[in-house]
Amino acid sequence: MSERLWAALSEVQDPEMPVNLVDLGVIYALSECDGVVDVELTFTAMGCPASDFILDDVRERLLREEGVREVRIQVVWNPPWTAARLTQEGRDALEAWGLAV
Amino acid sequence: MEAMPTAAEFEKTIQSGELIESSSEMTPEYLRELKHTLIVSGDTELISAPAYYLAAKRAPSINAFMTGIAIIQDELAHAHIAYHILEELGEDQEKLIFSRDPKSFRYPYAFDVPLDSWTELVVANGMYDQAGFCLLGDIHDKCSYGPWKRGLNKVMAEENFHLRNGRTWMKRISQAGGSAKEELQRAVDWMFPLSVEWFGLPDSLKMHSTQLEYRLKGLTNDQLRQWWLSTVVPYCEEIGIKVPAHKETRDGKDVWQLDYPFPCEFDAEAKRWDFGKPITWDDVLVRWRDRGPRNAEMVAMFQEEFHKFRKTHHNGS
Repeated sequence: MSERLWAALSEVQDPEMPVNLVDLGVIYALSECDGVVDVELTFTAMGCPASDFILDDVRERLLREEGVREVRIQVVWNPPWTAARLTQEGRDALEAWGLAV
Repeated sequence: MEAMPTAAEFEKTIQSGELIESSSEMTPEYLRELKHTLIVSGDTELISAPAYYLAAKRAPSINAFMTGIAIIQDELAHAHIAYHILEELGEDQEKLIFSRDPKSFRYPYAFDVPLDSWTELVVANGMYDQAGFCLLGDIHDKCSYGPWKRGLNKVMAEENFHLRNGRTWMKRISQAGGSAKEELQRAVDWMFPLSVEWFGLPDSLKMHSTQLEYRLKGLTNDQLRQWWLSTVVPYCEEIGIKVPAHKETRDGKDVWQLDYPFPCEFDAEAKRWDFGKPITWDDVLVRWRDRGPRNAEMVAMFQEEFHKFRKTHHNGS
């Protein structure tokens, strides 16, 4: 199940940049118990203008997975996000787009 | 230094699909047309900032305000791309922005009609930014001037974000129903026809386009308008908002048809169209040239402080 949920979130694109949330490194924890999914995530900036969209997209995508009936999201700021949290795929995608990371 | 190409050589380069990279590769006519196209683009992005700001102040939450402000920051950055290229082509950016008469700015008339609420702002994100997306998407795809074409890479992703803000909020407001939905419908009623007008004269009246000939853009006014209608009309219908247009099938092809005389009379102060009063394109061009209610106020928003600061700054030195 856990693998399936991570795969689902790797289909959710950042609303501003051509990279998915898993490769962007903003998903800190993901667990499931009796159809309830708990997500810990952060944003790349405290003033992230896309925060509402990201929360909507994560919730909407996870609820589409079979067996998921509730999604609880906690936004965390510790540890703070840095570019070091990008996966190699994420780094390649952003560099191809023209962002120095 | 390379010699300027002859008109025949230049035409060959353009037709071959090659990109133009510097002013030494251009004819004076191409340079003039490129500058004109860039000024329209820069002015449009620039003026959207005060237009959106005056409405973003009325955001219903901190998150929404933050999104509104981020969009304004994007628009200023997009304006900067266009003015920066103009500067490289020999124009004075400071003069262009701060010393021009408000009436000589070249942006769509729609921005001159005040956006007075968060609802009107998100409809602008859904409709005006969609118009910008079609126009810039076409330039990004087809433009023969390399530096501009490449500069638009990020712009497209950001315009997509603005569209998302518009669409998400339009849907949310429509679902809320009641007076919120009525307010949304009223905004769409006056903003939809203004966006349709954005793309300019119909192809039947515009015999010749230098912009197309030079591949500064790839699609005609009517093609761009059709593209816009094909995204906006279905979305509005999906969220239960009425728009005066419908789809027809002609020779196996989808064609979007307006349900009102185009162009027709608009009362900018009342924000009301009179579909019973068709007008001519000459009438529209007069309205555009005279500019609308908020033109002077918005240009003053960035020009006044610039000149005030400069004056005090220079007095001190």
